[in-house]
Amino acid sequence: MKKMSVVQVALLVLIAVSFGELVFDFSVYEELFLDFNIYDDVHDTIVSTLCLSCIKLDPVSRLDFVFETGNGEEHPEFVWKNLTKGPLFIEYRSDVCKACDDMAPIVKDIFNVSFEKEETLYKLVNYSGLNIHFYHINLDHASQAQKDSFPIYDKDNIKGVPMFVVITVKYDRGTIKPCYTAAYGTLGLDTDEERRDLLIDMIDDGVKLYEQNREGYKYP
Amino acid sequence: MNLRFRRLISQVVFFFSANLGFKIEGIFPGLKTGFCYPFFYCHACPSATAACPLRAIEIGVYEGKWNWKLIFYPILIISFVGVISGRGVCGWACPIGLLQRVTGKVAKKLKKKQPFLKKLGQHRLEPYLRYLKYIVFIGLVVVTPILVGFMFTDICPVGYLVGTIPISILNPGEFSPNEFFYIALVIFILFIVLIFTVERGWCRYLCPIGAMLAPFNKVSKYQVSVDKDQCIHCNICSNEACPMGIDVPNMERDPECILCGKCIEACPKDVIKFEGR
Repeated sequence: MKKMSVVQVALLVLIAVSFGELVFDFSVYEELFLDFNIYDDVHDTIVSTLCLSCIKLDPVSRLDFVFETGNGEEHPEFVWKNLTKGPLFIEYRSDVCKACDDMAPIVKDIFNVSFEKEETLYKLVNYSGLNIHFYHINLDHASQAQKDSFPIYDKDNIKGVPMFVVITVKYDRGTIKPCYTAAYGTLGLDTDEERRDLLIDMIDDGVKLYEQNREGYKYP
Repeated sequence: MNLRFRRLISQVVFFFSANLGFKIEGIFPGLKTGFCYPFFYCHACPSATAACPLRAIEIGVYEGKWNWKLIFYPILIISFVGVISGRGVCGWACPIGLLQRVTGKVAKKLKKKQPFLKKLGQHRLEPYLRYLKYIVFIGLVVVTPILVGFMFTDICPVGYLVGTIPISILNPGEFSPNEFFYIALVIFILFIVLIFTVERGWCRYLCPIGAMLAPFNKVSKYQVSVDKDQCIHCNICSNEACPMGIDVPNMERDPECILCGKCIEACPKDVIKFEGR
């Protein structure tokens, strides 16, 4: 009985120290654990993000361009600025995401870009003779500003990845303002061809709107 | 207050604690924490408060990228609970345990009416089926995510029950099935059949969290113990009471025991009790 108590206490101490290290970063195992807060990480990437593979569903894409942002926040600075040169295409993903892996080759092919899934990439690409700002943002490795942009463009409040966003400009009651559309997951489609076609439709719509309204757009 | 009622209160309290993530505009902001549940529940549930420990482990090992923090975090939470109460969390806290408390009543009646089910429960291979949960845990939560990127949570029936169904109801027409949807549907139907035909069938045979907690019964502070000298071997505890089908009079820190205390209540000689040692 005494032996068992010793085992229990030893286990509890070991668990408590390890847990404290994980959550509060006492830096006991500095070389083993990377520098990030596990509580925030679990909160941001697992609990607050809708796990599309856990629900075995893909959101149905509605490609209407809207002005109102997903969380009501203002468009980020990099978007306002980049819109002076062309529309934006942003692909949000995370490390562990089957649908992201399925969609990545299609995106790479459309924009003729290459990237590793962990990296965050920005590139000005030529698409049908027009500059498009291409962003590949992995939320597990992105900057805070990039992470903050995710709920802004989560049009349908899905909170899931992958999320594909096209940001362009459009006329609204006398002014030309940024507008955007978002599509999610494998776009609710079965084949790569259908998915590719839908993404191209989405980008083409964004390009068309940009060409129609670019003259009236003013960077504040 | 009898044990059964106390356990019901505990299960209901934990059920609501696990579901404080719902948002009521202007009234309640919704509580989304960065913890992992120490029991089986899915963070894809619209009202989930914490993360599924299995998903955290899967992400931690996914494609051999060892994210040690994400692997150890849920394991440590479960270990802490395990050292204190072993699989007591299955009996007293798990929402899926609460669900099986309801379905178990049907399973018990069916067992009495259908001799086939009784025979199945007494089959010599039945104890071996209990090892399936370890295979599910090691195989689908650890090995396949590393090797092929396939995860248990892709087909998890609990995710289907508390994630897929409510989200489909709350957002009609906004989602379409993905590639695992129909496989998960079949597994979900089998899950429902299992819990309605075998009392605590999910906990006995397939629950990966149960597999993580079970070894802690060997060292846990709290356990159910039997005074073997006083026991008259009437077997009411095993045959009538125990939802996990344990041979209670002969058990010694059995990894299957969920500390539900049904055997304690059923014992006519009061020789079974909770013990903290």
